[in-house]
Amino acid sequence: MTLLGSYLTLAAVLFCLGLYGVLTKRNAIVVLLSLELMLNAVNLNLVAFAKYGMIPSLTGHIFTLFTISVAAAEAAVGVAILIVFYRRRVTVNVDEFDELRR
Amino acid sequence: MFGLNLDVTGELAAFFILAVCAITGAVMALNLTRVIHSVLSLAFTFISLAGLYVLLGAEFAAFVQVLVYVGAVTILMIFGIMMTRHDHDSQERPRPFMEALAGIGCLALFGILFFNIRGTDFPAPSGTLPEDNVGELGRLIFSGFAIPFELMSVLLTVAFVGAVMLARREEDDLP
Amino acid sequence: MATVFAAYAWLVPVLPLAAFALLTAFGRSLRTTGAWVAITASLGSLVLALLIAGERLAGAEDYSQSFDWLVFGTATLSIGIDVTNLTTLMMVIVTVVGFLVNVYSYGYMRDDERMTVFYAYVSLFLASMLGLVLADNLLMLYIFWELVGVCSFLLIGFWYYKPEARDAAKKAFIVTRVGDLGLLIAVLLLFWYMPGHALDFSSINNVFGNDGGTISAGVTTLIALLIFLGAVGKSGQFPLHVWLPDAMEGPTPISALIHAATMVAAGVFLVARTFVIFEASPAAMATVAAIGAFTAIFAATIALAQNDIKRVLAYSTVSQLGYMMLGLGVGSIVAGMFHLFTHAFFKALLFLAAGSVIHAVHTQDIREMGGLAGRMKTTAWTFGIGALALAGIPPLAGFWSKDAILAAALEQNPLLFVVGAVTAFLTALYMSRLFYMVFAGKPKDGSHAHESPAVMTVPLVVLAVLSVIAGFVETPWYGWFGEWLTGESAHHAGYLAMIVATAAGLLGLYLGWLIWQKGTIDGKALAARMPGLVRVLERKYYIDEFYDLVFVRSLRRLGHALRRFDAVVVDGVVWLAAATAQAVGRLNTRMQSGQLQGYLLAALFSVVILVLAVAGRRLW
Repeated sequence: MTLLGSYLTLAAVLFCLGLYGVLTKRNAIVVLLSLELMLNAVNLNLVAFAKYGMIPSLTGHIFTLFTISVAAAEAAVGVAILIVFYRRRVTVNVDEFDELRR
Repeated sequence: MFGLNLDVTGELAAFFILAVCAITGAVMALNLTRVIHSVLSLAFTFISLAGLYVLLGAEFAAFVQVLVYVGAVTILMIFGIMMTRHDHDSQERPRPFMEALAGIGCLALFGILFFNIRGTDFPAPSGTLPEDNVGELGRLIFSGFAIPFELMSVLLTVAFVGAVMLARREEDDLP
Repeated sequence: MATVFAAYAWLVPVLPLAAFALLTAFGRSLRTTGAWVAITASLGSLVLALLIAGERLAGAEDYSQSFDWLVFGTATLSIGIDVTNLTTLMMVIVTVVGFLVNVYSYGYMRDDERMTVFYAYVSLFLASMLGLVLADNLLMLYIFWELVGVCSFLLIGFWYYKPEARDAAKKAFIVTRVGDLGLLIAVLLLFWYMPGHALDFSSINNVFGNDGGTISAGVTTLIALLIFLGAVGKSGQFPLHVWLPDAMEGPTPISALIHAATMVAAGVFLVARTFVIFEASPAAMATVAAIGAFTAIFAATIALAQNDIKRVLAYSTVSQLGYMMLGLGVGSIVAGMFHLFTHAFFKALLFLAAGSVIHAVHTQDIREMGGLAGRMKTTAWTFGIGALALAGIPPLAGFWSKDAILAAALEQNPLLFVVGAVTAFLTALYMSRLFYMVFAGKPKDGSHAHESPAVMTVPLVVLAVLSVIAGFVETPWYGWFGEWLTGESAHHAGYLAMIVATAAGLLGLYLGWLIWQKGTIDGKALAARMPGLVRVLERKYYIDEFYDLVFVRSLRRLGHALRRFDAVVVDGVVWLAAATAQAVGRLNTRMQSGQLQGYLLAALFSVVILVLAVAGRRLW
């Protein structure tokens, strides 16, 4: 019996917290942060499996590195979009991001 | 404790403390009203996660986590906060229906995940990770994963250029 | 002799059809050119028809060609043409009258804005009538039969801004529809019972010429009566005659066309074409003869009391069509078709002359006319010839054909002969009334009547000449027409019939002269002595009122009920469907808030439900 289950449970908790934040928070920056939290939860899974999986391997670490890179890129683009949007609408309130309806 | 037949080892204790820190940070991030506080409390979560990575023998991942998340992303977010205006007073006419639904959905998802994690019989690992984690990682990246690695650099460049292009203040936008 | 021109017989209906297509496509920009297109097309048809007729007179063989149109199972529907003596005769009648009407209309319709539309309709009318005549099977005939009905609807209602014209067009369409339904059922019955589902006339001739073949006597009678119902509708026989007089609301050339050559002739032609079926059923023959005789005398009495020049002629047409049916009903296809042939000329003549009169005096009421003979010499002369021909005065065309019918009737049934003779008397009486009231007497003051242009009078003269000479093709001593048409001489020199017919005609004319010209007998006093009869005649035996009471009102009531049903139930269902769709749509609109978080939430629930559904199956 390893700690794998505990790690996975922790990751699930973090993932659900992040999801809740994405779904309910109004501030776009907090939404972006919650997204990062969800990505981190996934990373934790990967690293946990890299150690406690059936065949321990460094591939999980590499995947984690890639995910972190993608997350960083995503955060950069996200904040850029946010700033552009803020210039247009003078708000960061996700409520008012209703371009999809137009 | 909890019906789990575990020896209270150092690893378990460390995991427990770090897990509590991570969850606390996440919950605080969701509950705090000021955005800057949220960002900082989430940075705390990221650091806790880096600790967990170390615990899992992924030192390089932990290093990158601290560097990128705590260093770059959090700072990026703070810049984002600084460049936009956040008036807390006018905020949050509550959306109880929406929040309740989201809560139910998230709990349901967690329930499913938890149920499955508990219900799955994970086979014992058939070996251990190499001692020289970082060195082995470097060899892997520059041999087997060379092409994804290069692609990742292209992606980062594209994201960088894209972010700059997006956020550049255009002449037309000036009032 | 070889059939050279008959092979091109299909061109006869196609030429006016092409004219119709041209006029419909380019009508707006053509105007008078359009009229010439139509006239040229009808002239082409006429020439071709005459060439074919000449060929047939020289003894060419029957010609037919057809191709399969629709093949299903063992049955085949074909389209084809049949050139026989009968169809050639009809073709000549239709093209001659059609051409003359086309020419005449050039003068009559000159001032009408929609002249090209008029010519387009006339061309289509001609095309469908010629197609009907040439059709080699019943189904094709039926198709053209309906087309003729549509065209008559369009033409009667040509001046659609006149409510009477609209009503008349609707009436014509609806009343003839009753008959058309009968014909349709007859076609279906034939299709069902005929061996091999053949509908072409040669097969019908073979089957029914052979004592009905496999088809039982009852079914034969039923089919014959249903076909006759179609003919009753189209040819304006009692009790479906009511549309014909109302059809006078159309332009006068159209009245001539409908009444002389096309529409009404179609019914008689249909009976003649399917004559074998009637011959196979004595009951049907008796019905045809009885209806024909009754219509003849019935309409003649009505014509006596009408004051509208075109209505008098219309009832006269109904009466003469009754005559034709009578001729067919007593078994003489020659007599019926002969009368159709001569009647086409003098009735077209009468209508066109009446049109000329109306064109000149701008009224149709004969009480407001009078003394026109001095001003409109050509019209008066030609009208007089037509009237005499219609009245059956020897040696004009009407005499010979009427005599043929009466002779045939005398052989068959003395009662029918008496009815026919009385009708002849009445015919002469009302025609003399019409002639004297319109052309004789003193001119009414304030009338600026003048002769019509040559384009209108020349057709009149041509038709007058034809009305004089057309009868000589078949006389008691010279049965060429009958031999040519049926291969046997139908005329049995019955001097009794001839004498009675002549006497009846002359008596009628004399009486008319006494009443309306000389005044020896006071017509008004005569009318005053029997006001009831006059009123009944004026109101046409209250047939229209009767139909209105029995059919129109009850149908209208049914219509109202159906409309309410439609409004409440059908519309309700539709409304419900619409409301449901709208409600769903509104719900969906609310879901389409543009809020990303809302969409995400929906996605989350979808995933949860999906996982539960998939995993749940394993658990339970």
